[in-house]
Amino acid sequence: MPSAASNDRIKHLFLWPAFLVVLLVTLFPLIYALVVSFQAVRLVPPTPARFVGFDNYAEIIQSARFWGSVQVTAVIVFTSVAFQFVLGFALALALHHNVPGATLYRVTFLLPMFLAPVCVALIARMLFHPVLGPVNDLFTALGFEHVPFLTNSTLAISTLIIVEVWQWTPFVILLMLAGLQGLPSEVFEAARVDNISAWRRFRDLTFPMLLPLSIAVIFIRLIEGFKLIDTVFVLTGGGPGTSTETLTLFAYNEGFKKFNIGMTSALSFLFLIVVIVFGTLYLAAAQRLTKRYR
Amino acid sequence: MTNASSEPHVAFKAISKSFGEQQVIPPLDLEINRGEFIVLVGPSGCGKTTTLRMLAGLETVTSGTIEISGKDITDTRAGARDCAMVFQNYALYPHMSVRDNIGYAMKVHGADQSEIDKRVSEAATLLGLDPYLDRKPKNLSGGQRQRVAIGRALVRKPQVFLFDEPLSNLDAKLRVEMRTEIKLLQKRLGTTAVYVTHDQIEAMTMADRVVVMQAGKIEQVAAPITLYEEPANRFVANFIGSPAMNFFDVAIRDGAVHLGDQKLPLPAETAARVGAREKVIMGLRPEHMNGGDHPAELHVQCQTLEPLGAHTLVLGEVAGTKMVAQVAPRFPAQAGETCTVLADMAHVHFFDPDTELRI
Repeated sequence: MPSAASNDRIKHLFLWPAFLVVLLVTLFPLIYALVVSFQAVRLVPPTPARFVGFDNYAEIIQSARFWGSVQVTAVIVFTSVAFQFVLGFALALALHHNVPGATLYRVTFLLPMFLAPVCVALIARMLFHPVLGPVNDLFTALGFEHVPFLTNSTLAISTLIIVEVWQWTPFVILLMLAGLQGLPSEVFEAARVDNISAWRRFRDLTFPMLLPLSIAVIFIRLIEGFKLIDTVFVLTGGGPGTSTETLTLFAYNEGFKKFNIGMTSALSFLFLIVVIVFGTLYLAAAQRLTKRYR
Repeated sequence: MTNASSEPHVAFKAISKSFGEQQVIPPLDLEINRGEFIVLVGPSGCGKTTTLRMLAGLETVTSGTIEISGKDITDTRAGARDCAMVFQNYALYPHMSVRDNIGYAMKVHGADQSEIDKRVSEAATLLGLDPYLDRKPKNLSGGQRQRVAIGRALVRKPQVFLFDEPLSNLDAKLRVEMRTEIKLLQKRLGTTAVYVTHDQIEAMTMADRVVVMQAGKIEQVAAPITLYEEPANRFVANFIGSPAMNFFDVAIRDGAVHLGDQKLPLPAETAARVGAREKVIMGLRPEHMNGGDHPAELHVQCQTLEPLGAHTLVLGEVAGTKMVAQVAPRFPAQAGETCTVLADMAHVHFFDPDTELRI
């Protein structure tokens, strides 16, 4: 029988490879990026790394373009997640109550989620084309010709929100439907026998019972939403001007168009801080909300 | 105006239920009187819960009509039937306190807050829930939760209480306590109650009348003692009573039962009523093998003894048929040997071997 001591040594043998992998692929890049964010590094033209302290951060915070991108991101994310949640919850309720053809809807409603965002953006670009797109045809029929969906800043943001909603509502449907199906049916039968209307059953029972799940779903969507880049990149490229430039796209442009690596790293860290602060505030608020129902 | 007390409070008129092609309840008739405690009992899948859910409006009726107080409510939605239901899994609103659970329906229906508070506190006092009014259901024991569910039902002052196996999730001791409580409560309120259970002891102890069901069919509707003394058929005879009744294939000749090579004389009136028969099923309860008005010696091949203190169970065989006899605590019997019990022939039942109906 192997002794306890030899077991211990073997334990390390098994642990170290995994630890090294984590160190290599997660911690090292993170720390490296943090170091770089305090340096001036340019790839094109190549300049040697030079320590600049908080200069990168200061420069970003003073740049109007940064605050513009924060605003764009916030508008797109909050608006689209609000729509996704309301629409997704409503559709999940409909599917849960077995509307005729629910099986067919269940499959088709989920399809957008399985598409790569780049494909979605390409499809949307075609759909919203100001001359050739079917959406334009529709608006022309209604008397609005050649609407500049992607070149007017307000319309472009709206279009991006619509695309986000179209692609990610299915995610909300999927999770809320699972939540609905997990609720105890007797509770709702008891309410039916007690003559509680469908609206009150939703308001007083379904909604509070699904509140913890709703908070999680909204949180996931918000965090994912903050990382929005591919749709914007393909559809508007951040334009017109920088009026639809999101934080991630701004970072991409700094890093891969200007090759200003130090600045990009600082931006990424600011982004991380923003998300962490926001996430903490959100979860704290959510906890206060659910406490009432626990 | 018709006399309300003479007409049934709840009436099932030829109601049936099918799930697709499968008919689970063939046309069924049942009348329940005002203020009566009716228990539907039967083995799993006998359709008792489905019958109750049809009355609650949670299950549609395939054909036939259901009436409450003479009014056809077959197609009335669940909420408009003025019934209150208690579920097996309590079905409490998990995010509401006990107080809110009990008062919720009243609040939604716009009752005065003072009226709600009054009724909630009445119900809480009645059910011993006063110390728990501000707790959430997850912080209560099973018995307390079921009391909350009962409280929720009774503050509504409904026409009919519906109970769907409300005690099945409780432990044995609590079940005994709760069944007395529910029975007393129902008597005090005088509200008609329909109670579903698979437990024959619950049925016998609580009901004014018991409805014994099997495969969607009503086998017998009678007061508990009638079910025991005069079971309509072999199924009811077997289902009611514990330990269950023993059944033997016998012949009746010359005023005596012939069981294998044993001969047990019958009381004259029984022999006259049943007559001579070459093939008949005799039912004899284990507790009727300990002497009585008309004892007959029955030799039993004793296999094992189960002393229970108050009495002893003899498990054995007579003429190749397994049987149980309930005898005195110090009954002189040895496992593996033949013993003699005294069958009370005044309490035997005979069933037709083809129809299984009691003769």
